[in-house]
Amino acid sequence: MSTPVKKAAPKIASTAREKLRPAINAVLVPLLAVFTAMVIGALVIKAVGGDPLAAYRGLFEGAFGSAKALSETTVWATPYIFAGLAVALAFKGGLFNIGAEGQLAFGAVAAAWVGYALPDVLGVTLPAVVHIPLTVGAGMLAGGIWGAIPGWLKAHTGAHEVINTIMMNYIALNMTSFLLNGPMKDPHPLNVVARTPRIAESARIPPIFPGLRLHWGFVLALAIAGIVWWVLQKTTLGFEIRTAGANPDAARYAGVSVSRTIVVTMMLSGVLAGLAGATEVTALNYRHELGFSVGYGFDAIAIALLGKTHPLGVVLAALLFGAMRNGATRMQFLTQIPVDVISVIQALILLFVAADAIIRWIYRIRAREERLVLTRGWGG
Amino acid sequence: MRKYLLASISLLTVVTLLAACAPAGEGEADCSDPDVFCVGLVTDVGKIDDKSFNQSTWEGVKQAEKELGAVVQYIETTDSKDYGKNIAQFADAGFDVIVTVGFALGEATLEAGPQYPDVKFIGVDQEQYPGAEVENVVGLIFPEDQSGFLAGALAALMSESGKIGSVCGTDAVPPVWRFGEGYRAGAQYVRPDVEVNIVYHNDVGFDKTFTDPEWGKTTAISMIDKGVDVVFGAGGKTGNGALLGCAEKGVMAIGVDTDQYYTVPEAQSALLTSAMKLLTPGTFDLIKMAMEGNFPQGGNYVGAAGLAPYHDLADRVPAEVDAKVQEIDQAFKDGTLQTGVSPAKPE
Amino acid sequence: MDWRRFGFIALIILILIGVVVLVGGGEVSPTIIVVSMLATTISVATPLTLGALCGIYCERAGVVNIGIEGMMLASAFFGWFAAIYLNSILQMAPMPSLLVGVVAAILTGGLLGLLHAVLSVTYKVDQIIGGTVINILAIGVTGFLNRQLFFEQGSIFGGQVPHAPGVLPRLKIPLLAGSPIASIFEQQPIAVSAVVLVLVTHFVLFYTRWGLRTRAVGEHPRAADTVGINVARMRYANVIIGGMIAGLGGAYFTLESVPSFEPLMTNGRGFIALAAMIFGNWSPFGAWMSALVFGAAQALQINLQFFREQIPSQWAFLQQAYIVGLVPYLLTMAILTGIIGKTTPPAADGVPYEK
Repeated sequence: MSTPVKKAAPKIASTAREKLRPAINAVLVPLLAVFTAMVIGALVIKAVGGDPLAAYRGLFEGAFGSAKALSETTVWATPYIFAGLAVALAFKGGLFNIGAEGQLAFGAVAAAWVGYALPDVLGVTLPAVVHIPLTVGAGMLAGGIWGAIPGWLKAHTGAHEVINTIMMNYIALNMTSFLLNGPMKDPHPLNVVARTPRIAESARIPPIFPGLRLHWGFVLALAIAGIVWWVLQKTTLGFEIRTAGANPDAARYAGVSVSRTIVVTMMLSGVLAGLAGATEVTALNYRHELGFSVGYGFDAIAIALLGKTHPLGVVLAALLFGAMRNGATRMQFLTQIPVDVISVIQALILLFVAADAIIRWIYRIRAREERLVLTRGWGG
Repeated sequence: MRKYLLASISLLTVVTLLAACAPAGEGEADCSDPDVFCVGLVTDVGKIDDKSFNQSTWEGVKQAEKELGAVVQYIETTDSKDYGKNIAQFADAGFDVIVTVGFALGEATLEAGPQYPDVKFIGVDQEQYPGAEVENVVGLIFPEDQSGFLAGALAALMSESGKIGSVCGTDAVPPVWRFGEGYRAGAQYVRPDVEVNIVYHNDVGFDKTFTDPEWGKTTAISMIDKGVDVVFGAGGKTGNGALLGCAEKGVMAIGVDTDQYYTVPEAQSALLTSAMKLLTPGTFDLIKMAMEGNFPQGGNYVGAAGLAPYHDLADRVPAEVDAKVQEIDQAFKDGTLQTGVSPAKPE
Repeated sequence: MDWRRFGFIALIILILIGVVVLVGGGEVSPTIIVVSMLATTISVATPLTLGALCGIYCERAGVVNIGIEGMMLASAFFGWFAAIYLNSILQMAPMPSLLVGVVAAILTGGLLGLLHAVLSVTYKVDQIIGGTVINILAIGVTGFLNRQLFFEQGSIFGGQVPHAPGVLPRLKIPLLAGSPIASIFEQQPIAVSAVVLVLVTHFVLFYTRWGLRTRAVGEHPRAADTVGINVARMRYANVIIGGMIAGLGGAYFTLESVPSFEPLMTNGRGFIALAAMIFGNWSPFGAWMSALVFGAAQALQINLQFFREQIPSQWAFLQQAYIVGLVPYLLTMAILTGIIGKTTPPAADGVPYEK
């Protein structure tokens, strides 16, 4: 009488486990990569005389310890989500977009201009419902153009996008420096810094709660992540992008225009990065300032890889990186450990994610997914 | 395989819980205590290590620690969007004086002033404009144009080739502009036919313009190859590079901000003097005033500026030249001489 | 040597120097301008040449290396750190400290080369990702250690950056003493080494058995394997050598140019070196000439700023340092499009070899 029951029970349990298994496997290596990187980070902190537990406590407190901290974490995470999606989308298309930094900069500049100059140029005050989309749209357009250029060059001359996007970053830096020190400089008499004037009230995206800097741009980022997933998985365009990325020859055989797809992919990637810049301008700073290279470009690569180029993964990875950057200031304040240790940890995370064989070997996990290979030499 | 997995996951959970739930802070000084006088310094995006600007101000704060018993700390800003946040870290913890270093923090400091009325703010290089003063914010400013003027006059008088030069950070920063143009004005004042070549490092972003010694050195050497025999290096580490280029090529150099004889000893053989703005005593004096209760009610506090001693090159400076320089210096102090340099670069 | 490519490169350099002579010729004698620009060009082209040579060793063997930037940055830091440590803490004299520093830089480069080889050849990680990892790692580690070792109170240097033992001295040539063209040839040791290495690499790559094996592994690894060449070993060796050369390039920044370390001081030069390598069609002489072009562009920037007053108003945009600063980057992109000449990378470049 007991036998049929015994036979039934294990069957139910194993089905549940089977359903969970892919999910667990997907997050396992990235999670362990982060964990291992933090352990090594702790060793590094210890080696230079610091207290790792106090440091990490400070980091945690700074990132999640209060409503203000959480809000600041999302503020940091928002551009990371957009930039991470940009790089991830390019990866899906078999392309390596290191130009997120430059595309972001142009997106910010364009958005700022539409934000502060358009009402004057047109001679009318614009209602927010018109001005905000125009501003954000300008950012998307600028980023898209900046991304499309290296895409076009690759499609039609074979020039590898890695170096071109890096060069475009430096060109963007120079051009924005020129604009923000010159024609677009804030003419306010008290101002000496290279930055634009504040954008009009009608162009600003409001914060969600008064007093905290958490803004609707964050919600937009989450929504866009969902849209990117849907486009990639459920539309023809997404299919073309993924196929051209996985196997260009097979794609051509299937009738996909690979060169057109390359340009479109890079353009969309640029659009996403441009959004990162645009939301910073419209929702956070209300202007664009010649900031210091926070290194969004490289961070975005790490985020895209950590998130396994899946939009949900990217969001989670972006939140992690945002938390680390945000919490680092508090960590330095409390323990005098320099914020640069975060960069070391992030570099290690990237190392372990890229060479996941190392993680697999440490923790004895079998390989299940195929490897991401993007390099096919310099093309041409 | 599964055992390792479980082991690692549990380890992960344990450590995370440990980190999150452990008790906060050890025996740190409590700044909210009225008897504990705390001074915080927020740097510009740049570091405490720049051998001039941020560092000299920090020296002033450390002097307060040593002589006045203040508890001191600094935060380095890594991103300009964090200015407000970093100021708030100190203010919320009950610090009594917050020093913000650099004109770029001007706006954030003015915003923080009214939010934290009990805190005294010292804004280094943040000129407070009449009508826009905030009671607890004092701008520590310096007459860099006078300092530069003296340097220019000295350089013009000491130059044998009739060509002098200057390698500067970006002229978008008013103090740099004043140093550079003061140098030009001073040179032309004593020797109208002297050729003055000033190169501002405008081609890079703010993060690099004061931290590019390589460019500074290459530019200085390029000038020297064309006959320049005195170079004024005015722009943080970029300027330091110029001083090194002079030392390598055997021409005279003039430093900036502090007596660079001590901060760039590699250039001692070439260093004629430095156009100083005395950040350290200026900062210290204001902190002392705050502690004693005589902090100025908003507005500006003008620090001291002047030339450093000649050190190793003292015997190369003829008496008449030194006399002329002293004469100009005195004229500034009397108010009988104006440099004619605009406070910031005209649009 | 492709004469069309060579001619084009020489033409660009002439144009760059010519612009400055045109602008400033009235103020300063043209001879002085040309000499000054050539001297600057050779000097600043040093890290680009060395970076390009690193790229050549790696890619001729079939491994794409975009981590040159990170290798140079890390070597610049560790070489400098070694020199300072020996000089300040162990009281060694300046010259030996500097020389040991150079060795330390070379070793750092070699170590990172080893890492890249491990990632690319053994673990077969995508080579561009591997290179990016090296770049990010270098930025993070050098930034962190720079802060921790030099500016924290409890550190070994007591919170102050100790004074560096200077830089490597210029090598004076007695024959040319006093001559107006002396400054072109009186360069510092690493600059001279760069030129020497160009010659050595050319010889090794095209006239030795090692070079032949390397090229075989980069063009047809399967064929090479069949003939008994150990593909993995050749790739490891070349990538490590390339790393060491990049290490020497890093030493230029902190031991020859200025005696200090700045975070991110390499400033994209590792990537421009790659462009120089591509434009030079993976040949040492070609890469060297391309590096000189970029060096000349940098010299142009500096000199136009010097002669800013003399620039006629029609060319006012040249006064804008930001605009002139675009030249190296636009040049790189133009080169990559291949309008100037098709380039042929090694056939198996970037493809991991599966036995």
